[in-house]
This record gives sequence, C-alpha cells and structure tokens, in this order.
Amino acid sequence: MLAFRYRDKGTVIHKLNPFCKLLWVVSVLVFALIFDHPVYLLLLFLSTMPVIIAATVRNEWLSVMKLTLYLCIAIVIINMMLSYHGSHVLLEAPFRIPVMGTPTVTLEAMVFGLAMSLRLLAIISAFAVLTFTIHPDDLMLSMIKMKLPYKSVLVTSLSTRFIPTLVDDLECISDVQRSRGLELDKGKLPQRIKSRMSIMIPLLCNALDRAVQVSEAMESLAFGSGTKRTFYKEIRMSRVDVVTLTLGFFTIGFGIFMCLSGFGDYQYYPTLEVISMGGLEWSVLSLLICLLLSVVMLAFVKRSSDLD
Amino acid sequence: MRKSHILLALILGIGTACFAIPMFPACPLNALMNWGLVATTLVILAIIAFFFEFEAAAVGSKEIALVAMLGAVSAVLRVPFAAIPGVQPCTYLIICTGYVFGPVAGFMVGAITALVSNFFLGQGPWTPYQMLAWGLVGVTATYLRRFNMNTKWLVIFGIAWGYVFGWIMNIFFWASFVYPLTLRTFIVAQLSSVWFDSFHAVGNAIFLGVFGTRTISILERFKKRFNWELLPGPDA
Repeated sequence: MLAFRYRDKGTVIHKLNPFCKLLWVVSVLVFALIFDHPVYLLLLFLSTMPVIIAATVRNEWLSVMKLTLYLCIAIVIINMMLSYHGSHVLLEAPFRIPVMGTPTVTLEAMVFGLAMSLRLLAIISAFAVLTFTIHPDDLMLSMIKMKLPYKSVLVTSLSTRFIPTLVDDLECISDVQRSRGLELDKGKLPQRIKSRMSIMIPLLCNALDRAVQVSEAMESLAFGSGTKRTFYKEIRMSRVDVVTLTLGFFTIGFGIFMCLSGFGDYQYYPTLEVISMGGLEWSVLSLLICLLLSVVMLAFVKRSSDLD
Repeated sequence: MRKSHILLALILGIGTACFAIPMFPACPLNALMNWGLVATTLVILAIIAFFFEFEAAAVGSKEIALVAMLGAVSAVLRVPFAAIPGVQPCTYLIICTGYVFGPVAGFMVGAITALVSNFFLGQGPWTPYQMLAWGLVGVTATYLRRFNMNTKWLVIFGIAWGYVFGWIMNIFFWASFVYPLTLRTFIVAQLSSVWFDSFHAVGNAIFLGVFGTRTISILERFKKRFNWELLPGPDA
C-alpha cells in the first residue's frame, strides 16, 4: 500500500511551490474535461510526460498507468455495448431487447471510448504528479493558506500523519496473532474476514487510546486558545513562483477562451468527423501546450535562481 | 427555520435540474455545459458545506483527535483487504462511527477515509465522489438509532449501502465517460458494476453481522470514557 506515496527526491518539480503544482493539476483536469477533440486529449496526455520525467517518478507512474489501463478497457467496452448510435455498424445482434432496441457495436462508439480513455489517462497522469511530488503536509498547509476550513484540514493532516504508525501497528498485531496460530489466508470469504477481524479489533482499540494521547498533546499546546496559530514551516513565494502562478492562471483563462470560441470541438455521433485542423488551430493548440509546459521550464529557472 | 427551508428547496432544485437536463437532448444548455465538470463541482461544494458544519460542531481537541484517528484506522483497514475485490471494511467502521458519534463525525470520518487512503492508493477525480459517498454512509447511519440496535437492521443497512455506494460512484463514470446521457445509458452504466457492488454488500453484511455490535460497544464505551463535563459544584 505504501508503494504509492510521496518520496522526497529533491528534483526541481519536488521543490516547486505546491500552489503552482496544484494549479497545473487543476488546469490539466479542466482542459481534459472541456475539450472533446481526440488530438487535444492526446497532446494533453503527452504534455504531462515531461513533468513526470523531470520529477523522476517514472516507475511509480508506470504502475499507476497499468491500473488505469483496466479502467480504460472498461470504458471502451461499456461505450461499445451501450451506445447504439453511429452510422458505421461493425456488429449487429440478431435479436432485440424489448426496451433497449437491437444491440449494435459501432465504430463511433469505439472511437468515443478510446478518446474518453485518453481523457482519463491525462487526468490520472496529472494527479500522479500531485500524489508523488507534493508532501501531504505541504498540501495541507496550502489548503489552510487558501482559507479552507481550518479544523477539517487539521483533521486530514493528523490522520495522514498517523497512517504509517497504524500500518506499523497493523504489522505488529498480525505478527502477534500469527505467532499465536492464526492463519490469515485460509478458508472461504467469511472465514477470511473473520480471521482478519482478530487484527482489526486490537488495532481499533489501540488507535482510540492514541486519540486520547493526541488530544492531551493538543491541549498541552493550548489548542483552541484563540490566538493565531504559527507554523514551523512556511511556504515561501519567490519571484519565479509568482510568475509561474500568473502564467498558470493565464493558461486556464486561455484554454477556456479557446473552448468558448469553438476550438477543441469534435462530433463523434452520428458519424465521425474528419480530423482536419487548420494552421491557426495547430498554432493555438501548440501555444496552449507550451503554456502548460512552462511550469517545467520555470521550475528549472527557479532552481538556477535559488543557486545564485 | 423558514430561510433554511427555502435554501434546502433551492439546493434540491438545482440538483434535480442538473440530473434531469442532460436527459433531454433538445435543451440548449446541453451544448454549453460539460456535465462531468458540473457534477464534480456540485459534489465538491457539498463536501465543503459539510466541512463548515464540522468547523462549528468540533469545539475542542477531543473531537478533532477522535475523528482523525478513526479516519486513519478506517483508511488503514483498506490494506489487509485490498486482495479481495470489492470488499471495503471501511464502510462498516464508518457505519459504526456514524451510529455512535452522530452525523457530523460520521461524515468527517467517511470523507477523511477516502481522502487520506487515496494519498497512498492514488488520488484522482473519483476522490470527491468517494468522500461524499462514504460521508453520506456516516450521516445516514445516525438514523439507525431510531430502531433498537440489533444486528438485523445493521446488516440490512450495510447491504443497502453496498449498492448505493456503487451507484454514487457510477454517476461520475456515467457523466464523464459515456455518451449519450440518457436514462437508458444511465441504467446500464449503473448495472455494469453490480458484481463489485454485490461483493461490497456481502462484505458489509458479514462485517456488520459478525462484528457490528461488538465494535459499536467498543466505541460506546470509549465515548463514555472520553467525554466528561463540569457539573456545577455545591458552592458554585
């Protein structure tokens, strides 16, 4: 479970301001959802790669992508089975289902499923950057700075901090129970659930005792005394970060403007549109991708300015 | 009281409209809106509303520590069961929490479970939906208090949530990746996950049937031990 977690690798992407990374993830998410055109979605997906490579999280990313592929297959199959629209019929069933009509598999549905898989891949690839390169504490700190409800964020960060502790507890308890003769992977589903339960109840009781300790520790640090809280770690905004953020907001605005003025539109049904993109469209699209990629370039600029 | 009724009606109206409009292809709004995005935004707004509720309800360190630890336990419980598809032990713990500690704590534990476990299992656009779905599990579990606590109701409740949880998650899948958005595709998309949902429901039933009352009594005992109040003294 702990394979998919943040590890500080000290690359330029890891050191980038968390606000900039969050904004980048949000912009990829928004673009992936507002554009329908397969070429746009493909380029969007490809544009996340340089960030992955710069952050040296390729192996983690690959394992996430492997899991995503199963979801993609599900998307393609469900679309092919569900939408009987489209004019290029590949397969037609010889029977009729009363309410649903005659099941048919069309080329349009298949292409639509593939394009939607690209959309999912782009989104998940962007979120992988968030998971692997932002420390959960930094994420929480930036949430507090964005004026999200303080106590909720505190609960989340406390809980994240205790996960590794509880995983240790869990391993310890299962060793203890196993040494007493408990066999975890034996029997049918109800039996297996029951045997795991003898691990879960002690874990729960332990954790509740820990809750008392945490609460006492918070009281002793005068939690809720009303004065303004200070933080040991602060998120500093350098000049490069401000530039990156401004560019990020501009990118989102530019993308939405593109979408509203008709770029990135594509008709899958009833007949696949011919992919014809004029010179203007290509140049606008490549400008958008460059803007998205500027976050990597500015990250390198930031490092060299930090070294100075 | 009046004001909150109007607000409630407004929210219900917007929700129903967002759900119904995509089903009528003739409506001009369809060309403008991206329903996947609209659904996600609404879900996030709903979660933030619950967070503000918690802000008002959690007065001290006790509530915060308790909710955080229960959320962490329920997130960790996803580990030993990751090998069995569809079985989600956290649902059972969230039901017990909601039952014992009330709707706000129930929602928070549910939402925290989804958010925190996804730091390790992978964040994605599904996170807000999981947060809302598990949060609602915790909120609704409070209503079980109206019945006499017995295993039968717990099991029925768990089975029902096994399926409803899957339906909430399918809304995300349907709105973002399926075309056209009609009642028919909605129903088929919902049916597509029946297999996993059944596993989830069976898992819930076993957990709650065998260990539900025991866990609830542990939590009840802890609640008694953890909560204290100052009574006015004889000379006060």
